[in-house]
Order: sequence, then structure tokens, then C-alpha cells
Amino acid sequence: MSVTELLAELLFMPMIAFIVGLLMVLMMRKISARLQRRIGPPFFQPLYDIVKLYGKDTQISHGLWHDIGIVMAVGGYIGAEILLPVPGFDGIADKGGIITLSYFLMIPSLGMALGVGQCANPNGSIGISRALTAMLAYDIPFIIVVFGVAWHYQSTSLVGMIEYQQANQWGIFEMPLLAAAGLFTLQGMMGKQPFEIYIAPAEIATGPMVEMSGKYMGGLFVMQTFQFYTAGVLYASLFLGGGDNWFTFLPKIFLVVAIPMSIAFLFPRYRTEDMIRILWKWPVMVGLIGLAFVMP
Amino acid sequence: MTNLDELLIFSGLSLLALFFARKSLMLRQLAPVLYACILLILIKMSALAYGGAIETSSFTIELLGFEMSWRFDALSWFFAVITLIAALASAVFMSGDWARYYCEQQGEKGLQRYGLLHLVLMLNVFTMLILLASGDLLSLFIGWELVSWASFWMMALSPEAKARQAAVKYLVYAMAGAMALLAAIAMIYAAGGTLQYGQLVAVLTELSKTQQIVLVLLFSTAFSIKFGLVPFHLWQAKAYAYTPGPGAAFLAAISSRVGLYAFVVVFVQLIGFAQLHSLDILHSVWLNIQNILLWIAALTVIIPTYIALQQHDAKRLLAWHGIGQGGYMLLGLMMFDSIGTAGGLMHVFNYASYQAALFLTIVAVVYRTGTSDFNKLGGLVTQMPLTFLVMLIGIIGLAGLPPMNGFVSKWMVYRSLLLNGQPLLFVAAVFGTLGTILSVYKLIHNTFLGQLRLEHQQVKEVPWSMLIPMLALSLITFITGFMPGLILPWIASIQQSIGLPVIAYDLGGIVYDKGGLDMIYVCMVMFYGFGVGAVIFYFLGGRSKRVHQYDNYAGGHFLSSKVRYHYSNNFYPGLMNLIGPWYRGSVVWLEKAVVSLVSLASNLFEHMYRSRQPVMMLAVVMVFALFAVLVKSGASI
Repeated sequence: MSVTELLAELLFMPMIAFIVGLLMVLMMRKISARLQRRIGPPFFQPLYDIVKLYGKDTQISHGLWHDIGIVMAVGGYIGAEILLPVPGFDGIADKGGIITLSYFLMIPSLGMALGVGQCANPNGSIGISRALTAMLAYDIPFIIVVFGVAWHYQSTSLVGMIEYQQANQWGIFEMPLLAAAGLFTLQGMMGKQPFEIYIAPAEIATGPMVEMSGKYMGGLFVMQTFQFYTAGVLYASLFLGGGDNWFTFLPKIFLVVAIPMSIAFLFPRYRTEDMIRILWKWPVMVGLIGLAFVMP
Repeated sequence: MTNLDELLIFSGLSLLALFFARKSLMLRQLAPVLYACILLILIKMSALAYGGAIETSSFTIELLGFEMSWRFDALSWFFAVITLIAALASAVFMSGDWARYYCEQQGEKGLQRYGLLHLVLMLNVFTMLILLASGDLLSLFIGWELVSWASFWMMALSPEAKARQAAVKYLVYAMAGAMALLAAIAMIYAAGGTLQYGQLVAVLTELSKTQQIVLVLLFSTAFSIKFGLVPFHLWQAKAYAYTPGPGAAFLAAISSRVGLYAFVVVFVQLIGFAQLHSLDILHSVWLNIQNILLWIAALTVIIPTYIALQQHDAKRLLAWHGIGQGGYMLLGLMMFDSIGTAGGLMHVFNYASYQAALFLTIVAVVYRTGTSDFNKLGGLVTQMPLTFLVMLIGIIGLAGLPPMNGFVSKWMVYRSLLLNGQPLLFVAAVFGTLGTILSVYKLIHNTFLGQLRLEHQQVKEVPWSMLIPMLALSLITFITGFMPGLILPWIASIQQSIGLPVIAYDLGGIVYDKGGLDMIYVCMVMFYGFGVGAVIFYFLGGRSKRVHQYDNYAGGHFLSSKVRYHYSNNFYPGLMNLIGPWYRGSVVWLEKAVVSLVSLASNLFEHMYRSRQPVMMLAVVMVFALFAVLVKSGASI
């Protein structure tokens, strides 16, 4: 890999992720609007929101680690985007692989938790306690899916998995049960209803966002765009054959995130313990059965 | 005089020097220098870690016809280096302002107790080196006993009644382990008439299968007790939590890892994979010794980690995690492949680096605030920012997240479980890691984040004499995570010397064609991400205004220091509602059952022995006599 390629990856991959992520946020809002028989926001609304949040006059910081927490939350995702293989850019993706990526994705959560912790708002720590519990809930089925997929492809490298799928068949056809469990897990990972109690956007006073104003909130907004993109690309790489080129790749990842988004607005919200209960029951069960088929 | 002679003699002399200097304050400068010198001798022997020949000692002791010998190989060197690094960090930490604090704390006997602490630390290091140098089963046993007693002394230093109680509990466990080890050694001697490592394999093959299983069980009981494997883990957390300050950091970092050392020597090097795998119980292929040990390791990962989650005291929380992390080491080791064993062994080093640092941060917090109780702490990040940083690096390591070294070794364990097709063990390992993340966040949140108490508003950062060892350990945690290739050659030469498949590595991590790991890239990408994140945060958007934490409101009320809302009880209510009923303490119940059984038996025997019941005694003798006569006559007929 030459230096120019490396620089291109470092520069363009987060940028593409940001733009695609913004479009995904727009899509989510459009979906919710259509389900509620509204028209929905205009095309540039997500961008306007970010500009608005960053440009606010009142920006309250509760200390150095409040700031660093946001930097870690956004920066961790920027790093993660570079480790994801996408068409044209997969030079660095090989250095980590799926296990590294799953743990890499916990760094932004840790950053957010530290930032919220420094705010010293009791409602903030309740939100973090819920968010970490939710992570425990959705990571168990996720890790079963990861194991099954890595065992099936006999590799932990995402690039290797994509090559295998493009040479043979998409993972979703070879491991339908694991793919189903993965999709279920995605709902929790993206923090969509019914698993969104830890974000609790409707009652902002009892979640991690309680002390986030201005660009702090903007940072979390940017993080959300990355989160959608990551979820889509990860799922597409594991089960949908990754991408030869952007024209076939983009529809795949938009489709992947559209499914949880569409389901989300049909459901109310589960309590944290119910979230654990359902995520440790159904996707784990389906995942384990899928695993039994994958491992003869 | 060989290098090993130098090492042992010098550490023995250091012990003597500290003994004579124990009542003067010169100790403070002397002790770190002595550890540094021992470390230098070890560095002189570093050829061992890069595939050099075994260093032998010129001493041998002839005892009842056995020849006891001492030697150092790559494995011993690796454990010795960890021991010395932990001891050096603890000694430097103890030598600065902490000395004055400890002396004041202990009252009029302060100086004496402080001297004793240094002496016992050196004693621990010395006995550890003797154990690591053991060249046969008898010297292993002697070293084992010495280490047990040395750590008992360290635990018993604290004058609190609870600490003494915990230490005695440890001693009972340790004695049980020692008896098991002695029984195993006696069994080997009875079967083969030798205690040399080399001939052990031959002896083992001569034994019947039942005998082999008994032997393996005896050995694993002995090692598990010291190592703190479920169900023999109950002594550890309490004992370490009450050990005075830096002593606890040393013990927690390395002391119980001699259990793993013995596992490697006896189970991996001597008995070997093929034997362990073929030793099955009840003729079931699945229920072989290897699988049983793997599952015990997995339970050791999960159970103590989730007990740690419920602790309200920082030291106890860390001590419980120490037990849990041991599970990862055994889990990796028992996979018997190149990546797994390397991960398990490397985790010993990585774990020691961050666990020592974490314990020291707690000692630092106690030094400033007088407590390690979560319910009395909080918000110290603004007062002690560097200690916070050390703890942050430590918890990222403990939780096994990139870019710290804990991630690398855990990654190797996961990778090995994946390669060998062990989905349930893999899930167990990840489940343990996730529990660790929850509990370390509780640790850092309840000490450093959240509400700052009124009485802590004048607290200052700890002095440099305490910060330097902590920061140095954090640096090790980070550097060996960034470039695991610095440690991996040591691991590879251990694998070579004990006959395991050798791992392929480079400076950045593990080379493996179906998905390796290159930490240099991963870390650089992460820091690049943070850099971009920082640019976005600091250079785009409006300027932020720093406000005090009480310039705030929640639930419609202004927050003030009078309203205490910092809590550690039921910190994860959602989770506890679900898994709370699982905390039944079945192992505690088991321990109590064993205790009452033993006390019942001892009461019974005491009565017999002291002839308080002459009639009973007579009856028993009669029964035996009758039995003997019957058997005798039966035999003659």
C-alpha cells in the first residue's frame, strides 16, 4: 500500500461515512414521517441540525473530560470507519479484523460514558448505567453471530470474508439463521425502538444527553451518523457480500439500516431488564441454532 | 559463579540488608536500589528470553538421597521479570511520602511496621525467585511453601482483626493446597522413586488410569488454590483487599500467578496435551481433564467478575477482578495451540502491569481521602487528574479494549477459542469482558467522576514519588499494547523451551494469514481518529464555557454539595433485576459445608483422642478387634 493510498483512506473513508450517515439519518426521519403520515424534513435538514448545534452561543462544558469524552466518542468512530472495508478502500481493514472492530466500537461508548460522568448529573449516570447494560445485552448475541461467521469463513479478517462471499455465495444464504440473529441484534446496537431506553430521546432529562448542549450534542449527532453507517457496512460485509463498487454497495447498506428503522417506529420502548431478557432469549437462541448448523 | 547464583545470592543478601536496615529510614532509598539491582541481574540473563540456553545454579543439595537443583529457563525469567517490575514499582511508591503517611497511620510502632513491610516485600520477591528457579518437584514444593508463608506474612501485616482473619483463611487454604501437592509428590515418588522433572512423564505412563486421574486432580487442586480458580477462590479477594497498600499491589499483580507457573511446568511441560486430553472421566470423550480445566477457567472468568460488579469497595472490586483475569490465562493456556498459550502467558505480564497500577491508584486515593469506599468518594478527577489518567489507562487494559496491552492478550485468547471451534467458551470469555467493562466503569465513575464531596474539595494530586511508579506502569501498559512485539519474543522462547507450537509475530502483533492483528496500525488509526475528533471539537463551532459542577440542576432543583446523589449500591438496576437472584453464593455455601464437616470430624476425633468417652473408645477397639479376627479367620478358611 503506497503512502497516497493510505492518505486517501485516512481522509476519504471518514468523510464518506459522514455523508452516507447523514443520508441515513435523513432516511430514518423520512421513514418515521411516512409511517406517521407526515411529509418529513427537507433533504439538507440533518446537515442544518449539525451546523445549528455547533454554532450555538451557549456551550456548557463541565470539565476537561467532558470535552475529551466527546472527542473520544467521535474520534473512536472515525477510527472505526477506517478499519471497515468498503469498495476501493480496504488496505487497513486487514490489520484488525472483526474481533478488533467489535472491541474498537466500545471505545466511543466509553468516551461518552466518561464525558457524562464528569457532568456529575445524577440523571446522566442513570443513562450510562442503562447504556452499558444495553451493551451487555446486545453484545452477547452479536458475539455469537461473530463466532459463527468467523468459523464459517475460517477467518477473522473482514476482507477475507468478503472475498469468500464474492467467490462463493453471500453469507445470508449460507447462514440464514445467523443473519436473522444479526439483524435482531442490529436493532439494539443502533439503539432503535424497542431498545432505545438508554438514549431516551423523548425525555432527554434522564439519559446520557442530559448535560449535552451545543457542539456536545452536535458531537453525539455526528456519532449517530457514524453509528448507522458502521452498522450497515458491518452487516453488509458479514452477510451481504460486501461491495464490488459503490453502486451495488450503497443500496445494500441503506437497505440494512432501513429494516431496523422501519421496525423501530412501530414499537414502544422496553425497560432495560426486558431488553436484556428479549435479547438474551430470541437472538441468542436463533444464533446458537444457526451456529449448530454452521459447525458440523 | 553462574548468573543464577548471583541472582539468588544477591536477593538473599538484599533480604539480609533490609533486615538490618529495617529500623532506619535509610530503607527508603535502599529498597528501590536493591530491586533495581536484582532487575539488572535479570536483564543480564535476558538471553534466556530470546532462545538462550537454560541457566543452572552451581548449588545442589543432597537430601535423603535426592539431589535438589535450581535452574532458570525462559518461563522462570518471564515470571521473575514481572515480579521484579511489580516489586520495584511498589517499593518506589512506598519510599516517598507514603512512608510518612503509613508511619503516622500505624501510631507509635509506625517505623517498625514500615520496615517490616519493606522486609516482607523483599521476602516475597526472594521466595518467588527460589520457587521460579526450582529444578525438581521437591524444590518446587519447598519454594511453594516459602511463597505461601511469605504472602501470608504480607497479608497479616495489617493490624485490623478482619485482615488477620482473612490471612488465616488464606493460610488454611494454602495448607490444604500444600498437602495436596505433597500427596501428589509422594504418589509420584512411590510409583517411580524419582522427583526429577525429566522422569515424571515415564512415571506417569506406568500408573493406572485411576491413579493418573487422582494425581492430576491432586496437582490441579494444589495449583488452583494458589491461583484462585473457582471453587477455591474465596480466600483471595478479602486477603488482598486488606493487605497494606503497595503490598496489595504486588500480591495482586503476581503472587497468585505462581499457580499458573506451576500449571505450565507440570501440566504443559511435563504431562502434556496428549495425556491431559486422553485422560477422561467416566469413559466420556468430552469429560477429559483438558475440557474440565477449560470450563473451570471459563467459570473463573465469569463468576468473580460478576461478583466484582457488586462490590462497594475499590480494593475489593479490583481483587475480585484479579481472580477473574486469572481465568483468561488458564483458558488460553489450556488450548495448547500457539496463539492461545501465547495469549494466556502474555496476559500474566499485561495483567500485572495494569493491576499493579490500578491498586496503586486506589492506595493514592486512600492516601488523600482516607477511604476506598465508593459511597464516600466521587468527583476526584478535578483534584487528582494524573491519578485519574493512570486509572483510565488501567481500566482500559483491564477491560481488554484497544489500545492497551490487555486487549492484545485477550484477543489472542479469543482468536484461539475461535480457531479451535469453542463457541461456548468464547461467549463465556466475552461475557466476562463485558462484565468487566460494566464494573470498571463503576470503579472510575464512583471514585473520580460524578459528585465531588464537600470534604474533598481541598484534596490535591499525590506527590511525584507516588505518581512516577504509577505512570511508569501505565506507560508499560500502553507501550506493550502499541507494540506487542516487544513482549512476544519472550513468549515465543517460552513456547519453544517447553515444547509448545511457537507463535508467529512481528512488532505490531500476530502474523496469521486468516486474520492477524497489527496493533501499530490499529493504534495509529485510533489516534488519528481522536486527532480528527479533537480538531472537529475544538476548532469548529462556538466556544464552550467551563462551569462548576454545581452550576447545574436536575429534576427541577439546583444541585449542591448538600444533596448527596452519588451512589454505588445497585448501580446497574436493570441488570440486577434480572441476574440478581443468581447471586446465591453457592460456593460460599460449599465452603461453609466443608468447614462444618471438618469441625465435626475434628470434634469427634478430639473426643476420642482425649478419651472423654472411654466407653465409646472401648467399643471402637472391640469392633476393630472383632473385625480383625473375623478377617483373619476368614482368610485362613
